[in-house]
Amino acid sequence: MANKARQQSKTERAQALMQEQKRKERTRNLLVVGAVVVAVLIIAVAMYVVSSNKDTTGKAVGSSGTPSNLTGDYNVLIGKSSAPDTVKLYEDFQCPICKEFEAATGPQLQAAIADGKVKVDYHMVAFLDRASTTNYSSRALNAAMAVLSTAGPDAFLKFHSIAYANQPTEGSAGVPDSTLIQWAVQAGADESAVTPLINGNVYHQWVVNATDQMSKDGVNGTPTVFINGQNQGTNPQTAANNVLALLK
Amino acid sequence: MKQWVGLLARLIVGGVDLLAGLSKFSDPAGNVRAVRAFRILPESIVPTVGHALPTIEIMIGILLIVGLFTRAMGLVSGLFYIAFIIGISSAWARGLEINCGCFGNGGVPADPQRQYAIDIARDIGLLLCSVWLVIWPRTKFALDNLLFPSYERLPDGEQGPSTVQN
Repeated sequence: MANKARQQSKTERAQALMQEQKRKERTRNLLVVGAVVVAVLIIAVAMYVVSSNKDTTGKAVGSSGTPSNLTGDYNVLIGKSSAPDTVKLYEDFQCPICKEFEAATGPQLQAAIADGKVKVDYHMVAFLDRASTTNYSSRALNAAMAVLSTAGPDAFLKFHSIAYANQPTEGSAGVPDSTLIQWAVQAGADESAVTPLINGNVYHQWVVNATDQMSKDGVNGTPTVFINGQNQGTNPQTAANNVLALLK
Repeated sequence: MKQWVGLLARLIVGGVDLLAGLSKFSDPAGNVRAVRAFRILPESIVPTVGHALPTIEIMIGILLIVGLFTRAMGLVSGLFYIAFIIGISSAWARGLEINCGCFGNGGVPADPQRQYAIDIARDIGLLLCSVWLVIWPRTKFALDNLLFPSYERLPDGEQGPSTVQN
């Protein structure tokens, strides 16, 4: 009888000991988890803050940072108001498919604009900054806006053609500001007028906001082509053919 | 054996998450646009989600690669892949033309139908890896093994690290 009781208490003690150890282990694990979770959260919050601060989208643009001669907030409509058809384009100066689209349709569109057959509504954006080492995409758009602001829509159109004809390849260093200034002058802008605008990248915040507006318009890539409000789809070849058919 | 499969699952999911997060981190505005492109979330939270995504991916990626909180990270990762699969399928069904933005490219793919299918197939594979880690979180070369050595015997009879055999 006594033996059995002793054995029982031994078992109990062993069990209690094990439970005690388990409890200690759990506390220790909770501490470890807590410490690591806190560390991870601190790092994550810091990264989040860095990331969201880097995004200046939507920041207000003063009058000196807003291009002149725009039609709406973020577009320029070129052509005679009597022209029956409207082609709306979303384009990025760094986008190679836009270059192809321009090569296929640019001269015809410009002739049709001059003939009063069509209006072209240019929505230029810049989301391909990472495709060059010098943020070419947004600098080129800034330069185009400098031309539009100082020399008007026709000069903008010329700059637009020159920029696509000389588009730097993706992954390259793009072209320097001095070249953008040359193109601007070639397009008809006054050198002394555009130089500070291009070197100072003065429309940069407007460019960021214009790009965000494209996304809010439901457009997620370039080139996106609308003919009289009708989206021409993701195949740029089809879109180009439809534009050419319209101009015939 | 399961522990080696688990290691592989950890490295695959963790590696993909880490790379996806890193490639997106430098373009927060682009991430916001990528999230908006799905037209699922309300505009009021789109920027927050866009800014938070790469950070979350990087954290999950690193924790999975080092093997810390494997089960929890497998769970979170799995939930994200379910959300991505729903998002991509829904965009596909609605005929939206989007790039998934998974690796931070903003353009529209040349053949969106095919791209949708590839993206979904990839996400299902990654989801399965994540589910594996939720079921069998004990894996080779994981920090979990150091921090929580006496992780109790796993329910399927697989043993803890102290007695494990290769």
